[in-house]
Amino acid sequence: MGAQHVVDGRGLLPPEPLELALAALDKLQADDELLVLLYCEPHPLYGVLDQNGYRHRTETRPDGTVEVHIRKAG
Amino acid sequence: MQPSLSFEQAPPVSVPFRFFLTAPLFGVGAGLLLLWQGGDVFISRWSPVALALTHLLALGFMLQAMCGALLQMLPVVVGANIWRPRTVAALTHGGLTLGSVLLVAGFLSESPWLFRLAAPVLGVGLGTFIVVVLIALIRTSARSPTVLALRLAVGGLAITLALGVTLASAFGWNFSLPLVELTHLHAAWGLLGWSLILVMGVALLVVPMFQLTPPYRPTLARGLPLGLAALLVLWSLALLWQWFLPARLFAVLTALLLATFGGVTLRLQAQRRRKIVEPTLLFWRAAMIALIAAAALAVVQWSVPAVGDYSGTSFLLAALMIVGMFPAVISGMLYKIVPFLNWMHLQNLGKPGPAVPNMKQMIPESRMRLQFRLHLAALLLCLLAVAWPPLAYGAGLALVASFGLLEWNLITGVRLYVRYQRALAAKA
Repeated sequence: MGAQHVVDGRGLLPPEPLELALAALDKLQADDELLVLLYCEPHPLYGVLDQNGYRHRTETRPDGTVEVHIRKAG
Repeated sequence: MQPSLSFEQAPPVSVPFRFFLTAPLFGVGAGLLLLWQGGDVFISRWSPVALALTHLLALGFMLQAMCGALLQMLPVVVGANIWRPRTVAALTHGGLTLGSVLLVAGFLSESPWLFRLAAPVLGVGLGTFIVVVLIALIRTSARSPTVLALRLAVGGLAITLALGVTLASAFGWNFSLPLVELTHLHAAWGLLGWSLILVMGVALLVVPMFQLTPPYRPTLARGLPLGLAALLVLWSLALLWQWFLPARLFAVLTALLLATFGGVTLRLQAQRRRKIVEPTLLFWRAAMIALIAAAALAVVQWSVPAVGDYSGTSFLLAALMIVGMFPAVISGMLYKIVPFLNWMHLQNLGKPGPAVPNMKQMIPESRMRLQFRLHLAALLLCLLAVAWPPLAYGAGLALVASFGLLEWNLITGVRLYVRYQRALAAKA
């Protein structure tokens, strides 16, 4: 079981959350999970993930926080 | 360190930039027209010069910028992919630019031939845009209130275009139609059914995102765009069937809805988590104040006969909306969109190379603030010129300065992109 890394982008101005998420992805190990917390669905990030070999799962908390769970595919 | 991932989902940067760099030139054109014609513009809202001025701003500036922004926004914001973005951008941009020039020249020269050319050029250019964007919006799996608002807005644009092409054809081929009623419908659908619903949809997303405010309440997020579209449909039917009392009632309700949107947005901005006052916030705030003022004036116009009978009232409303409100929102958004696109596309070029500059460094903030002040001056002078027409020259000058500086600020952003793109390409 790998480690979980968290990027909390709530309260940050765009594109800061995306910058932090991309930097974290570059360091992500095979078994690790990256959890990105935002107030909106990050479609540009989804595009990056789909095209670069990552899988993701999105959940929405009752307070409107969007949780994106990211792992390396395969 | 530069992240190494790519954003291939976004359309090429040339797609939105061509719209953004063309739009302010029509605003400069509007200022030049005011300088040329002076206070004569305010003789009648139906005069060819007044119609030319309106279309320079609403079609040449507003629609041009909004189409570019929407083509760029759909993949990034709602995950909707555009079919052949380069082809669609070329057709839409070409049709809009040429069509706007032909239409304005048609009004100024009163030549039927120019209307005969403008109608199909605008029809094909914008028709392509509407079909492609609607398909993308229907196919997206996103279900946010913004998607609902964008679908409604593009529907509103289709109605505006159909009415506009009908009117231009009537001028071109001189056939008889109820031109006054059609013009009221065309203006209402263009300014509210398309432009304002689009602004609402964008606000739902960008006000909380860029100004770090609480979100719009879910009932308002869906209710405002849906309510506005429904009221417009009811008002249009009442107008066509000549039910004047219900038409007036729906118009008052529409004004109240617009004021609610403006008021709620101002309140959210007052609750933002970071109390920074940056240019985009200033533009949005000014836009919402202009919107509330326009809504209030519209209600007064229908309630107080003296105000309703005053020929300047329609110019005051037009100034608040198409000089004050929409250009403010568009300027504020362009100052976020262009730096964001630069950042995103430069990231996409990947490493190695010079670090991509911070978004805040791409257009000098002092110049954005100066343009904001020029924008306010232009609005104020336009409003005052309605009462005292010699001020139209000052208003024209302020419009040229404001839109000219907007153009220069955007060019600064695009030049920075080109410079970094070359540097990154040279290092790769």
